[in-house]
Amino acid sequence: MADREAPQTPRSEAKPGAGVGSHTGLPRPLRVDAEVLENRSEGGENLRLRLRVPGWPGFLPGQFVMLSPGARTTVERTDPLLPRPMAIFRTQPVSGGAEVEILYRRVGRGTRLLAETLPGQRLRVVGPLGRPFETPAPGERALLVAGGTGIASVYELAARSHGVGRVEVLLGARTGADLMGEGDFAALGVALHIATEDGSRGVRGLVTQLLESALAEPGAARVYTCGPRAMMERVARLAAASGRPCVVSLENHMACGFGVCLGCAAPLAAGGFALVCRDGPAFEAGDIAWGALP
Amino acid sequence: MSESLDTSVDLGGIRLRNPVLTASGTFGYGVELAPFLDLRRIGGFVAKSLTLEPRAGNPPPRIAETPSGMLNAISLENVGVESFIRDKLPALPEGVTVIASVFETEIERYAEVCKRLTGVPRVAGIEVNASCPHVKSGGIEFGQQPQVLAELVRATRRATALPLLVKLSPNVTDIAAMARVCEAEGASAISLINAVQALDVDIETRRPVLSNVLGGLSGPAIRPIALRMVWQAARAVRIPVCGIGGIASAEDAIKFLLCGATAVQVGTANYLNPAAAGEIADGIAAYAVRHGFGRVADLRGALKLPGR
Repeated sequence: MADREAPQTPRSEAKPGAGVGSHTGLPRPLRVDAEVLENRSEGGENLRLRLRVPGWPGFLPGQFVMLSPGARTTVERTDPLLPRPMAIFRTQPVSGGAEVEILYRRVGRGTRLLAETLPGQRLRVVGPLGRPFETPAPGERALLVAGGTGIASVYELAARSHGVGRVEVLLGARTGADLMGEGDFAALGVALHIATEDGSRGVRGLVTQLLESALAEPGAARVYTCGPRAMMERVARLAAASGRPCVVSLENHMACGFGVCLGCAAPLAAGGFALVCRDGPAFEAGDIAWGALP
Repeated sequence: MSESLDTSVDLGGIRLRNPVLTASGTFGYGVELAPFLDLRRIGGFVAKSLTLEPRAGNPPPRIAETPSGMLNAISLENVGVESFIRDKLPALPEGVTVIASVFETEIERYAEVCKRLTGVPRVAGIEVNASCPHVKSGGIEFGQQPQVLAELVRATRRATALPLLVKLSPNVTDIAAMARVCEAEGASAISLINAVQALDVDIETRRPVLSNVLGGLSGPAIRPIALRMVWQAARAVRIPVCGIGGIASAEDAIKFLLCGATAVQVGTANYLNPAAAGEIADGIAAYAVRHGFGRVADLRGALKLPGR
């Protein structure tokens, strides 16, 4: 069941896109140790983490948290040193806070340690962070295109937009085992289309091929995307070619998540940089200098 | 916490509530950390370094994780001194001690930024970052050449009546000599160490991990090196020393105080724990009480050396 907790402020105050960052009107982020309730394999390298976060202030679709790379002990862990940015998949209010769900993939040292974390252990949570997606207007056709771990970033957008806009979710993965969250999207009742590179689930091919078909239908639509850089660039290009607006959610490396390390700089088409953590992670696709993005 | 404990210290004419500052470039302009930490719980913070004009930084990738540390090459990205004075300072709550930080590529420009900051009500002092590449020396850091460092300190000292801290580069053979240069030219205090020049590569892509190739190593990995250099510098000068380098806990900070630092700066640890500096301040006070010190300032140089 999707989280239906009311956001702290009207959504209209929080707009995506590049610009001078401001947390005005967003839930006030907190730093807290959260108890692991569940941390289980979802098949392949995918895992689902459920945390009990005391004092959770709510969040908006597209926001993220920083998670300590592995369980907290009395001594601060120094290796690996940095917290990992993770999309907030969804939350469920509970007394005194919320259960926060994260879908993630075991890819490196930090996520391997995270995968070894057991129920009852604690993780440091800093968040919610970043500026949210602007949700679709009533009746607006919204194409949510996601691949890999980017799928976790668009679930809440789908959940809150379903029944407001006309939501179609297009998910891609290398194999069916790599695909995360399919059942959760299906349970929302949104229109759901799947592509896998080996054809083991949905149609064989890339999610961008699904998008080409969807964009071939006439009428206004807005595209939202999160996933591997090459996929997002292709999505952005397809959307632009069809004259549809496109919002991308970038997944750059970052050390802090709240605008001080300056490590997550994304090059802008107009020159200069935006910080993914503070000015994003959601941007207008046309604002990004894709060729200069690592 | 004991109510009779005096936690304050004097850092070259800047009276600090307690000896914990946060390091430039790890704490933004202060407001970014405000949701996580009451800025009045710490001694103060050193703001992101300022240049005369706003500057954009290096292209990504700018950071990379390394064993117990991280590499960064952000370069000079900042809002510029005028925007700092006009937009950033007024956004801070009252009662927060702010030390401005300055870096530039030429000595005259350093001095000009110092002048602009002088007389600005919220600025308690200036930290001159001597780890920038000096254009006229072909990119060698100001803080790597004693004569250039002397010129820099002399010019910035002349440019401001504010307490002047000089942040030293660790990429030198003799840190004590650099400390003495700062003292001789009238610096109010020195802070060290800045990040250690370092390199890492990705063997799959066969590329350096940073777009800038070289970066600055920070975090717990550099702490024992930093502690050694602070100890050497503190023995070489009478002006106060501010210890920096991989401090992530009160225990770490106390080591720097015992080795001669008057105050410390918490840097990379702010990224993992944005309330770290406040927790460290509390931990230092608890240690002072537990060990019977009436004043936190008395921890300075209380190291017991062999045979003494």
